[in-house]
Amino acid sequence: MPPQATTVQRDGRSAVVHLRGDLVVPAMGGLYAKLRTVAKRRDVRTLVLDFSGAGRIDSSGIAVVALIGRQLAHHGKKLDLSHMQDQHRAALALSPESTGEPGEPVVTPGFHERFGERVLGLGVGVRVFGRLIAETVRQLAAVVTRRSRIPAGAVRHHIEVMGADAIFIVALLSFLTGMTMAFQGVVQLQRFGAGVFVADMIGMSMVRELVPLMTAVILTGRTGAAIAAELGTMQVRSEIDALSTMGISPVRFLVVPRIVAITVIGPALTLIGIFIGILGGMLVAAGTLGMPPVTFWARVVDEVTLLDFVHGLGKSLVFAWIIGFAGSHLGLRASGDAGSVGTATTRTVVISVFCIILVDAIFATITTLVRHG
Amino acid sequence: MTHPGEIILECRDLSVGYARPILEHVDLTIRRGEIIALLGGSGCGKSTLLRTIIGLLPPLAGEVVVFGRSMYAGLPDERNRLLRRTGTAFQQDALFGSMTLEDNIALPLRELTKLPAAVIREMVRMRLALVGLPGMEHRTPATISGGQRKRAALARASILDPELVFCDEPSAGLDPVVAAGIDETLLKFRATLGVTLAVVTHELASIRTIADRAVLFAHGGIRAAGTIDELARNPDPDVFGFFHRVADKLAATGAAGSIAS
Repeated sequence: MPPQATTVQRDGRSAVVHLRGDLVVPAMGGLYAKLRTVAKRRDVRTLVLDFSGAGRIDSSGIAVVALIGRQLAHHGKKLDLSHMQDQHRAALALSPESTGEPGEPVVTPGFHERFGERVLGLGVGVRVFGRLIAETVRQLAAVVTRRSRIPAGAVRHHIEVMGADAIFIVALLSFLTGMTMAFQGVVQLQRFGAGVFVADMIGMSMVRELVPLMTAVILTGRTGAAIAAELGTMQVRSEIDALSTMGISPVRFLVVPRIVAITVIGPALTLIGIFIGILGGMLVAAGTLGMPPVTFWARVVDEVTLLDFVHGLGKSLVFAWIIGFAGSHLGLRASGDAGSVGTATTRTVVISVFCIILVDAIFATITTLVRHG
Repeated sequence: MTHPGEIILECRDLSVGYARPILEHVDLTIRRGEIIALLGGSGCGKSTLLRTIIGLLPPLAGEVVVFGRSMYAGLPDERNRLLRRTGTAFQQDALFGSMTLEDNIALPLRELTKLPAAVIREMVRMRLALVGLPGMEHRTPATISGGQRKRAALARASILDPELVFCDEPSAGLDPVVAAGIDETLLKFRATLGVTLAVVTHELASIRTIADRAVLFAHGGIRAAGTIDELARNPDPDVFGFFHRVADKLAATGAAGSIAS
């Protein structure tokens, strides 16, 4: 029998609701609305639920009865349950009255609390980061002085994965950047009849600025994110704890090989990128200006000094350390669940790129001041 | 064990927890050669206590003394030296997913000793046989079952022949037959390697099979300690409820009262 057949019968100051059919999920929305309407009426002091025609009752039915009972009690009214069968009685024994008060709702912190926590968390983060760097240097010193070892083949493995596998993408992007810069430069410089200076421009911008920066961005996306994800997953799966309890320093075992590898491949990839980038510019200069590659190369060699190389490669080394330490730090601080690994990875990329650009600006300012100041 | 050995682990008035203490005023001793079970319901803090004992979580108060030396007073190197005399099998096996079982189990040997590779391989083969995984050295953790991973974790935790091995829920989530196999392995460990075992668990069957002594944690501290028989007769409702699978405290009090009388 459909539950819509539930009827309400008035009897003085009480209302009798004759429940019909199963008190289950599909019918409970309608029944709740109907009961509320009846319960709200001022002239109703007692609400009687007559279960004689009721069938099965499920959790939603129990909840509706319990809820209406509480609402009535709140207004000093009464709920009577009549003609209940054993199954109804047993089911209603589950209602919240018999399972105690509802738990305290979780209070979400307000803006000020969240801000304060962020600031405090930042302080802790900086301290932990400092300790990670100090510990890495200490472990590295122990390895260099042969007081301890890093896992055999680990550095080689990381150089392969971080470096060798990234050569193609670094080369391709450097080549395209070199070409694009040359196209732009040729158009602008030719206006002043100075098209030949495109070689100087390409050489200088590739060596000092563009390739170190671009390589660092690629390394961040490929390697920094991978370090954070790897270490984060190991942390979540208790593998880092397992290392610690074996008396093996996780920093020596996991961080040092990665830092050593990225120290090598940051500048190495940059160096490769520089030459490929210049090659890209050279081809464009030959195609648009008819400038012989030998002439182009001669101008580059003339213009770019060893100091420029030191500047570019030195910068790429600092970028590599930023990426390696940010990935390691955030990966090791992941905790709990898979979500924290995702957060660690994302934050590694964002923080690394931010710091790289910041450091790049500092480098540019200092060198300009030194040169002209 | 009939003859208790010297004390090799001691917790003195230990409080453990993260921001707030979860367990307070824990005094606990473990003697050489015994198997002690650390019991308690889920979330009572026994795993947190274990993290503090094995050097992963500094205590909020009190001291952990292992082999007569304080775990947290010295430098990290000192702690590492102490930890190398212990082994830990984690609840989530914590095997390195990218390595084979052989590499996993051999890791402490390769990192901390100068043994020749051939000797290390032989040791790993022997240990795999001891835990019931003969011939599986080239499998990776992802390709074996949960029970086998737990065994492999035990093999790794014990490869340096530690004097004291901690197991966090060694048989959690395993079927009774496999769980019994793990218990057997733990007993075999003591018999063949002479290790002392501290097992965190809430599996009654396992406690009765392996443990000489048990400590039950509840309500933020140690609720009871003693041999299994002593604990099973303890009228305290928490202890009684745990040992006789009674959920309702009132019923436990009543039943315990009738036993006591």
